[in-house]
Amino acid sequence: MEHRLLSNVGHTLNQNPNISSKSADAIVALITNPFTSDSNLTSLLETLILHLQNPNSNHHKLLSSLSALSRHHPRLRHRIAAAAHAFILLPSTPTPSLPHALSLLDPDHSAPLDPFSDESLFLSLCFGQCVKTRGWTLRNVSKFRVRPSVLLTVLLGFTKDPYPYIRELALDGLVMLSNGIVVEDRSLVEGCYFRAVELLFDAENSVRRSAVRALASAPSPFTIEELSSCKIPWLVSEWGQLLVALNSDKTKRYWSDALFVQLCLMVRDTDMEIRAAAFNALGKIQTVSEDILLQTLSRKALLATKEKHYPGQCTAKLFKLPATTAAFTFGHGLEDEFYQVRRPACQALQTLTVLSAQFAGGAVHLLMDMLNDDSVVVRLQALETLHHMAMHDHLKVDESHLHMFFGALIDNNALIRSAARKTIQLTKLQELKMLRSCTDGLIKNLKLYPQDEADIFYVLYQIGQRHGKFVTSIIHNVSQELEPSFDGKLVFNNARTAALLVLAISVPVSFERMICSIPPEIFSYAVTLLGRLSRALVDVMDQNVLLAYLSHCSRFTVASNSEKFEGEVLNFHLELKKVAISSLHDYPLNANVKASNCLEIVLRKVVDLWPLIQLGCTNEVVQTSRNWKEELRNFSCESRQPAGLLFFALTYLHVIKLLGKAWACTQRNPQFEGMGFLDALLSKMERRLKEMLYRFAGLSREGKLHILELMLVTYTMSLSYRGTCYFEDNTKKLNFVLSRVEYLQKEGSVELSNFVIELQNISRENGNSGDGFIHKLDLLQKSLHLFSLKYIPLSGELKYLNAELDVCDNDFQNPFPFISGLPVGLPLEITLYNISSESRLWLAISLGEKSTQFVFLDLHEFGGCDAIRKFTFVAPFFRTPKVKHFLLKVSVAMECLSEDQHFKHCHGPKHELIHLCKGKEVHLSMAVK
Amino acid sequence: MAIECLVLGAGQEVGKSCVVVTINGKRIMFDCGMHMGYKDKRQYPDFDLIPDSCDFTSSLSCIIITHFHLDHIGALPFFTQNRGYSGPIYMTYPTKALAPIMLEDYRKVMVDRRGEKERFSSEDIVECMKKVTAVDLKQTVQVDKDLQIRAYYAGHVLGAAMFYAKVGDAAILYTGDYNMTPDRHLGAAQIDRLQLDLVITESTYATTYRDSKYVREREFLKAVHKCVEDEGKVLIPTFALGRAQELCMLLDDYWERMNLKVPIYFSAGLTIQANLYYKVLINWTSQKVKDTYVTRNAFDFKNVCSFDRSLINAPGPYVLFATPGMIGGGFSLEVFRQWAPCEKNLVTLPGYCLAGTVGHKLMSAKRPTQIRLDEDVQIDVRCEIHQLSFSPHTDAKGIMDLVKFLSPKHVILVHGEKPKMAMLKERIESELAIQCYYPANNETVCISSTHHVEAGASDAFLQSCLCPNFKFSKPNSERDSDLDDSNKRTIVCDDRVAQGILTLEKNQNPKVVGQNEFMEVLGVENHGVKFAHCCPIYLPDSESRDASGRSPSALLRLIFEQLSRAFPGFDLHDCQEQIRIRSFVGSFCSKEKCLHRTDVSLHSRVTHLCCSWSLADEELAWKVLSIIKNLELANAS
Repeated sequence: MEHRLLSNVGHTLNQNPNISSKSADAIVALITNPFTSDSNLTSLLETLILHLQNPNSNHHKLLSSLSALSRHHPRLRHRIAAAAHAFILLPSTPTPSLPHALSLLDPDHSAPLDPFSDESLFLSLCFGQCVKTRGWTLRNVSKFRVRPSVLLTVLLGFTKDPYPYIRELALDGLVMLSNGIVVEDRSLVEGCYFRAVELLFDAENSVRRSAVRALASAPSPFTIEELSSCKIPWLVSEWGQLLVALNSDKTKRYWSDALFVQLCLMVRDTDMEIRAAAFNALGKIQTVSEDILLQTLSRKALLATKEKHYPGQCTAKLFKLPATTAAFTFGHGLEDEFYQVRRPACQALQTLTVLSAQFAGGAVHLLMDMLNDDSVVVRLQALETLHHMAMHDHLKVDESHLHMFFGALIDNNALIRSAARKTIQLTKLQELKMLRSCTDGLIKNLKLYPQDEADIFYVLYQIGQRHGKFVTSIIHNVSQELEPSFDGKLVFNNARTAALLVLAISVPVSFERMICSIPPEIFSYAVTLLGRLSRALVDVMDQNVLLAYLSHCSRFTVASNSEKFEGEVLNFHLELKKVAISSLHDYPLNANVKASNCLEIVLRKVVDLWPLIQLGCTNEVVQTSRNWKEELRNFSCESRQPAGLLFFALTYLHVIKLLGKAWACTQRNPQFEGMGFLDALLSKMERRLKEMLYRFAGLSREGKLHILELMLVTYTMSLSYRGTCYFEDNTKKLNFVLSRVEYLQKEGSVELSNFVIELQNISRENGNSGDGFIHKLDLLQKSLHLFSLKYIPLSGELKYLNAELDVCDNDFQNPFPFISGLPVGLPLEITLYNISSESRLWLAISLGEKSTQFVFLDLHEFGGCDAIRKFTFVAPFFRTPKVKHFLLKVSVAMECLSEDQHFKHCHGPKHELIHLCKGKEVHLSMAVK
Repeated sequence: MAIECLVLGAGQEVGKSCVVVTINGKRIMFDCGMHMGYKDKRQYPDFDLIPDSCDFTSSLSCIIITHFHLDHIGALPFFTQNRGYSGPIYMTYPTKALAPIMLEDYRKVMVDRRGEKERFSSEDIVECMKKVTAVDLKQTVQVDKDLQIRAYYAGHVLGAAMFYAKVGDAAILYTGDYNMTPDRHLGAAQIDRLQLDLVITESTYATTYRDSKYVREREFLKAVHKCVEDEGKVLIPTFALGRAQELCMLLDDYWERMNLKVPIYFSAGLTIQANLYYKVLINWTSQKVKDTYVTRNAFDFKNVCSFDRSLINAPGPYVLFATPGMIGGGFSLEVFRQWAPCEKNLVTLPGYCLAGTVGHKLMSAKRPTQIRLDEDVQIDVRCEIHQLSFSPHTDAKGIMDLVKFLSPKHVILVHGEKPKMAMLKERIESELAIQCYYPANNETVCISSTHHVEAGASDAFLQSCLCPNFKFSKPNSERDSDLDDSNKRTIVCDDRVAQGILTLEKNQNPKVVGQNEFMEVLGVENHGVKFAHCCPIYLPDSESRDASGRSPSALLRLIFEQLSRAFPGFDLHDCQEQIRIRSFVGSFCSKEKCLHRTDVSLHSRVTHLCCSWSLADEELAWKVLSIIKNLELANAS
């Protein structure tokens, strides 16, 4: 059967190059039947290919058969692709069959003569008479590897094509092109932009849609700021944006406004998709003048925009674009019939409200009404936008909004409720009345949807913290309700009571410090809710802390005057504040809070640790600083925070932790506790402080002074508590640091703390005698009490001097070979960050504890810039021991030229070293003969 | 040809919409409404002004009704049954379904209740509706060979449509009443970008700018909620159709969300009957209704029940929908009379009330007030009045937006108040540069229309239309000002679309030909200006002997080499005896007296290079000549 079919096909094809429908059916049958033998398929293929080369055959049918064959039998694909390739190269091939043949080509397989990079082929496909071919070519324009200039010209030309779908494809092609090429010819970009603007008035919906996309579509990977400072090539997306970017700073805003207004025109189109596209595009515009933004909220023309005109097109005939075109853009968008439009309109507001507080104030009215929308997606987006505004401090809630705003708390949809709570939590309520209705809303929420309890408690807690004063007055009003009923039973299962209790206990952590005004018994009532509370506040504190906190607060009246108690309250206070910060991070919508802010908050808060340190609450200090560190790391993962500041802050926190520990040590009469512990702490501190001093470029004078002061504390502690060992050494160091402080003082005005001044006095009294301090130990100890931790100001950017060291292909199982007694080369890959070529770098190669060999790295020899320098270096190691295996530790260290301590290495560094990376292990093994 | 637009109603007023438009000889009547404010002959349009008024059927090509409101359809039964029009009538399906209900309701109120003279009977309505052809949205209807009409969604009320009419190349759009912002139950007007000579648009709110509808909704809900909370009764007088459904949907949603149990009543069977139509005609409602339709028909109101007359004075709060909307009479007036004296109650008024109705009096009065119904009856009004401008008409911005979107050549305003129309006309003319008119009733506006000529096209022209042939032009960018330099940008044009020559020969149809064929068609030759100069080349004496040996071709090669050095970018041709650069051609002149020779040659050793070039290459040619002249000096040295 098979054979007969095949021979029939061959026969008829030979007789008549036009494939009859009968033989076409036979071919399809042969191809689709899974039992057709391989040989038959091959011969069918060969027959088809043979006929393909005949200029008289019906190429269309042959190619269809071939593509069917290629689809059903992928292993033949290669052969078919080759045949198609040959067919394309034939001069006799008619242009209309080319697209079909091109689509048969294997994109992975690169032939020597790739038709897709053949410009003349591309052009002949484009400029042929056949519209279908042209359409195919434009649709597949991304496959062609043609010069961008040719592509741009062709595409721009086809925006004038009389066929609407060709115009549409050409615009889409231009959008694609604008994403990936470098265009610097301003008139060309303008040409493209204004051509797209012209097509906004096309009669065909699909063309208009593409035109909106072409004006501003895909998200741009760079902001305009980045572009203007630009070493990055013009990789922006859309032509309008491209045009904006091409202009100088002064006119940039002007063009950005023009683009914005032009897009505003399109939100009144009668096609839904065009409106949606327009709002999507509006949301991507980075800068807009405030008066235009305000115009988008008002139906009437505003005075500020009345006389303004922009280049662009207002109607098909009018080529001046009045700014009033933007009137009520967002009103229309939010009133739209289709949620597909309302949602992007809400979304666009999200980006634009950041630009102007006044605009945000107007947009709030519109957005609040959107909470009444019937589509969940829109309500959610509206809340998201409100939340975004709250985060940028642009959310001013009016009393008229409350009804809608808190109405969202009783929404049917759990997502909406949760989003509403997240937004409310960040909102600053201006009046007591507002807070009251907010609490009522949350209580209603709790009653209707008990499953939200944990989240509601958390929000109440957060709100209470923000509005301490208001909450106090609310609690005073309702304290009757919170009292046990007559029969002596506490009915805290009641949702309202529970909610009010949560609100009450949040007050002490409020920044307003109204600690005593909440009746202490309320805290003891709250203990009965401990389980539920701790579940809600799991992110804030664990159950033990909560319990301790509640019991503390409930004891208030008893112990209000004890000094110890104050400390403890403070302790809790801090504990909870720490959490206030940490809670920020749990916030999924909150990723935009700037990490530098967080950093600053932490650095400021560090000051609050000092009283704790003085009280000897080591554990709290340790825990807090640990939490903060984690916090900082988390934040900087999310935002691309300059690494320098982060590392600095982390090191600083570490130092504070050590200080806390060391201080506690000294309080407990260390003479008896074993000196080793304090020793270790102090030397760690010293090392860390030196690191801070030397591994960060760009420290301000104040910053330096701060570190030096901490060093002085370290040395003073060392001198006064460690007894006589290392005494001379420490005295020397102390004097040296004092001299540096003096030097800083001379350099410019810096304010010295009492502690430093006292030390200076002591030192002056001593004169230069090396052991003078030994008689002044009590003075030194007293001077320590003058010390207090201050805020360390950081300004600008800190550069973190860092090195990375890598040893290729080396581990325990893959050691480098060596011959004992002979030197061995260690191939190292070194990357240096922010290290100037002037610094003296050393490779420290140590064998065991004692023996270290230094190799000098002359940075002038290696290329790269100061910011980053990467090179491979073969480090020689001379003293190979007589063992079978050994282990070397290699690290990069920098010489601190300003440190005056001399080292005694004969060929090594003269000054103290600061290690820039962790030691890297290198395994070596005796070479086997 | 021209478009003639005779306004029979709604010219500089609201009521009895009727516009007769003649486009290229075809006459269409848009809407056939009645005026609710008059009871004399001004109630109907003056049909006698239509040309050939003796035979309306032959005079009018068709009648188009945009929607079922009486001021748009009220005079139709009269016109068909009494004035004898029997031609085609077009309206949308919902209009065809709802119009007889409206007409019958009106007839009953007017005739049965008020005992006015009957203008048309129930049978007339039935007969009239038999002549109606129903059309669907965006369905193109070929009324006759030349006339095409098409309906577009207009919002406003169920089944309202804008109508597009086209005769030859002249096209107009009659909007009827429309709304550019969507309601809860109806969508916004929707239309394609059309090439139009004329747009006839309503202008009810020609100068009004309405706030976001959300604000109005919020205030309305607040007022109603407050009233029922305080045990009051709410009277919502509405038209049976549209507003009732809109408000009902709003209240139903709100009731649902706020968990309110207060009953909502629909007074008349009419409204309930209309609701049935709404339920069926889902395709004509808003996107929201369409979206939820799969799970629940939005018109199946959960909290609404039908009313019984005995409940009027029943205790307890409730909300009542009653007709008619402006409390001009009927049930709503009856209820109003009983409820008005009580302070707890609330009456919501529509944004627009006709002069003479109770609604209109209430709007302008301050509470508490007294309203005189007729000589005997006077009502004390102590209840709350809430004015609710839920209007299904577009506002000034909407009109401007639509006109801007369509960009027609002319605009005619109807269905509005004269001073406001004048202001809108100013805006349209100044901001959009479109001619605008607002004729009074019985006035005619004539505008020119696009003229349509049928022309053949030559094969060569058609052929050239197939292949893309675009050009870029980039005018000189010497002046470098940053802004407002629209002449600096690259401009594209495609010759396919732009270029062809229309030829009109005697006794033949007009024909479009390509540029190349044009000469042939005219039977003339192409003339061009050419320059010529016979340039002398002096051969130096010292080499006189050699020079005789130097053949012209050798000299030519020498020149050629020089020129190719001087013009590296140009394509030079050295064809044995000639030099060619673009249109410049130079060859040795053997003639004794060449016409182009200007020098009087006394020199014995001179040859001449006769050159010619066209106008376009003049500059180039003189450069070439100067090089050839300098060649001699080079030789001499």
